[in-house]
Amino acid sequence: MNSTQTIQAIQENIARVIKGKPHVIEMTVVALLARGHLLLEDVPGVGKTTLAHSLARSLDCSFKRIQFTSDLLPSDIVGVSIFNRQKQAFEFMPGPIFANIVLADEINRTTPKTQSSLLEAMSEAQISVDNQTHPLSQPFMVIATQNPAEYHGTFPLPESQLDRFLMRLRIGYPSPEEEKKVLDRSQALHPAEDLQPMLTAQDVLDLQGQVDKVLMEESLMEYLLSIVQTTRQSELLSLGVSTRGALALSRAAKALALVRGRTYCLPDDIKELAPIVLSHRIMVARAQGVRQRSFEQAERIIQDLVESVPVPV
Amino acid sequence: MSFDQALRLTSILLATASFIGLTLGANLPEWLVLLTGSALILTLLKTLGLRPIGRLETYTTLSATTWNILLVIGFLGFWVDMLWISGELLPAGVHFLLILMVIKLFNLQLRRDYLHLYAISLMAILASAALTTDLWYLPIFLAYLLTGVWTLLLFQLTKKSEDTAGPATVISQRRDIPESQSCVTPQLFWLANGLALCAFGLTLVIFFAIPRVSAGFLQKGHGENLRTSGFSDTVNLGAIGPIKRDPSVVMRVELPDRPAHEMGRFYVRGVTFDRYDGKSWTNRLTHRRVLSERSPGTFTLRQNQSRTPSSLGPALRQTILLEPLDTPVLFAAPYAETVSGQFLTVQSDPTGALYLPFPSSSRIEYSVLSRVNLVLPADLQPQSVSYPESVVRHFLQAPVQSERIAALAREITQTKLTSYEKAAAIEHYLSHNYRYSLDVPLTDQEHLLEEFLFARKTGYCEHYATAMAIMLRTIGIPTRLVTGFLATEWNEYGNYYVVRQQDAHAWVEIHLPHSGWVMMDPTPVVSENAGGAAPGWQAFGRMMDNLRLRWNRFFVQYSAADQLAVVRELKVSTASVQSRAWDSLSTYLNPVATSLGQATRYLAEGNLRLLGAFFGLTLIGLGTIIWLAWKRPWTRGSHSKMEAREEQAITHLYKKMIHHLEQRGIAKPIATPPLEFIRIIHAEWNSASSTVATITDLYCRARFGHAPLTKEELLLAKDNLRQLMLLDRPKSAARPC
Repeated sequence: MNSTQTIQAIQENIARVIKGKPHVIEMTVVALLARGHLLLEDVPGVGKTTLAHSLARSLDCSFKRIQFTSDLLPSDIVGVSIFNRQKQAFEFMPGPIFANIVLADEINRTTPKTQSSLLEAMSEAQISVDNQTHPLSQPFMVIATQNPAEYHGTFPLPESQLDRFLMRLRIGYPSPEEEKKVLDRSQALHPAEDLQPMLTAQDVLDLQGQVDKVLMEESLMEYLLSIVQTTRQSELLSLGVSTRGALALSRAAKALALVRGRTYCLPDDIKELAPIVLSHRIMVARAQGVRQRSFEQAERIIQDLVESVPVPV
Repeated sequence: MSFDQALRLTSILLATASFIGLTLGANLPEWLVLLTGSALILTLLKTLGLRPIGRLETYTTLSATTWNILLVIGFLGFWVDMLWISGELLPAGVHFLLILMVIKLFNLQLRRDYLHLYAISLMAILASAALTTDLWYLPIFLAYLLTGVWTLLLFQLTKKSEDTAGPATVISQRRDIPESQSCVTPQLFWLANGLALCAFGLTLVIFFAIPRVSAGFLQKGHGENLRTSGFSDTVNLGAIGPIKRDPSVVMRVELPDRPAHEMGRFYVRGVTFDRYDGKSWTNRLTHRRVLSERSPGTFTLRQNQSRTPSSLGPALRQTILLEPLDTPVLFAAPYAETVSGQFLTVQSDPTGALYLPFPSSSRIEYSVLSRVNLVLPADLQPQSVSYPESVVRHFLQAPVQSERIAALAREITQTKLTSYEKAAAIEHYLSHNYRYSLDVPLTDQEHLLEEFLFARKTGYCEHYATAMAIMLRTIGIPTRLVTGFLATEWNEYGNYYVVRQQDAHAWVEIHLPHSGWVMMDPTPVVSENAGGAAPGWQAFGRMMDNLRLRWNRFFVQYSAADQLAVVRELKVSTASVQSRAWDSLSTYLNPVATSLGQATRYLAEGNLRLLGAFFGLTLIGLGTIIWLAWKRPWTRGSHSKMEAREEQAITHLYKKMIHHLEQRGIAKPIATPPLEFIRIIHAEWNSASSTVATITDLYCRARFGHAPLTKEELLLAKDNLRQLMLLDRPKSAARPC
């Protein structure tokens, strides 16, 4: 089975649980292959947790879930050193972050202190406790969810920390037909429990290695950079896309090319990914009369900007 | 390779060429050569993209002020150099030029800096031209010309691209320029090299056509004359020995009349000595007479004209190219009759040695006609002899304490009757009973000759010749010592003898009553070059020496007179010029032919190893050329020319398709990527979508994937485009736009 078929199989596997959302599943796989982290932002009950769960089940990887609450402490995530009486020494008890796929549920409900401990782990792929550094297991992917509908008692993530997520996705409600299929399913078991693992951790690492070899032609890099440049110059935005954002878009485009069975990027990849990779990295200008940061509006602005950038021929 | 990088590279190579020229031409101090050389290597490596160098540079970046201070120090150093250290303008200027070059190399940022570097390089190559007339200048000049053309081209091209690209719209502007135009394409590569060659051809024409004043006139005072020994008025015994290991070339002798296969040992006569005092030889016949000029440039020695032609050997014509020596002696085969060359006067002493008024500081070329004296039958009969008073006074002198030597001489010659037989007996005795060696320890300063004859029995030419001369004198035969060269090295590529310092030699001449002076050499023939280099290398060395000779003859010594001669000949008849051209062409082709002939001879002799090496080298060379032609490392990366051409072709087809669709009412918005456009076509004009999809797929693969397209795929794309053009868009779907 070559890489394209493997990637196809894993998508189909997840699609057995998440009905009618092939695009979301594809993007999830893209985030995994691009060594990125995923931020799912949607109303409760559309399958955010189920998506993360079924991805973890499809891979032969460890999966941990952390429910973020306002009284969660950093040690609840990274682990804690406990005094062992027999050995007369402190012993490190790893926290739930030591897993391949970590679901950070409702990340905006906890305090910034706890949020930052998670985000540090995300960017460094290691944890430092009591002057000791513990590397995290590879592959490592955080799927965080946040709830835009509830604003009471939340601590919204600042842009600098949102930047650490490769992409922000919305799942959205399924169509009535698909929803009916969900209802039809037997409720005895969590649907993700049925899934069989398709890939080992090593397979995932190999695929991630293949992403690095995908060719991005020089004119495409210029195209990508001119998109980034446009967001920085746009009057609609008070904060444009950072260099890390440009890097993320390039990595994601390469991963998407691999997922689509190509060894080279196309302008289509970049254009398609730009809204979901860039929209959480920008700040909409206040002059636009927006009271709160709105996901839809940011995405629309990015889309409009991309429509103004000429594609290389 | 992009233009900017290529410009940087060629600029540094230009500077390198001129630097090498200067290094070879001027006697630069080692630290300056090291400094400039390492600066060039560093910048070259940095330009080629070696990362550690770039990192090193970030640590050692100096501010502009520091560079300026360095410049001022260099300038002060120039004055100090000129006034006290070198004491001359030219070397001091050259040193300062190199300092300037180093400073500029580390400050190559603005286009102005590049121009400065070019100016410095030009000065350097001009200075090295003034300082030298050697053959190596030719390849250096060629390299300079080649890089110069490249640099100018690239300088102009980068200027253009800088002008067109505005500061704000860099990205969008650059997208309009096709990829192939902003990097070094094969066409440009060959164009530049062709231009350089044309320029070189033009240079040659100018060289031969423009009136000349003098060549390498600044060379005087810088090039040092070759130090010789044995050709002054007094020669200590043992003076020739030390130079017998010096391989530097003293002269080259061509013998136009003699066929090449007759070449054996060839004696070149220098000066003679008449008085020996036990330690050194002295020439007392120092009175020099100015030779009469028979025709312009041809001088005749009269002494031999009174003699009957029957006593003279066949005439031997020689053309001699003499290196600058520290002696005014003109060398020639014995015994010179006429000398012709570009001399004002030529002098000779009573023994027939030729002199210039003063040592020449440049190479000179002259030709000599010589005839040897034959031993006449009258001298082979026993007879009572009486020599003229002048001969007795000069050539029968012997040091006082030589009784033992006289006894030995009498013992050897007691059975012989004639002078000639006696001399031959002594010659035979010396050459067979004594060992030739250059390793002669100096033990007894007072009795050098006795030590050689009776104790050590080991020595070299001087000892043999002195011993023979003194022995002959003690038994009453007039003898004199001659110093000169014994040429054995024949260059078969240019058909001439190469005479080196190590060929310096001494022999004797005896006076026979009827024949006159006859040459004899008691030194045994030594098998030379016993532990020399491999024959292949020697052949290569001889080939290079031949090239050097021709360079000197055709370029360095090409003077106004030669120009006039060329013009005169052109006037006389074109036919003769043609034949001359053919002749000179054949002389150039001769080495090739002879080397081919030699290769076959080697094969016949079973020298397979050399032949194998030769063919191996040829194969490697050919392989490299083919590899270069195939891989084309000058195009960017592994992205070969064919691929680039296909990429352009398919991009062209795609653009045509877009244009065609636009005419049919479906314009492609600038921000629409290719796959999205297929979906638009699919929605707007379903029947065309399959052809558009095929072309787009091939286009994407070649344009963004750099995947090589086969000819069939290109044809497929063309077919699809043709189909698309034939398709009629249904009226219902067409929108007014």
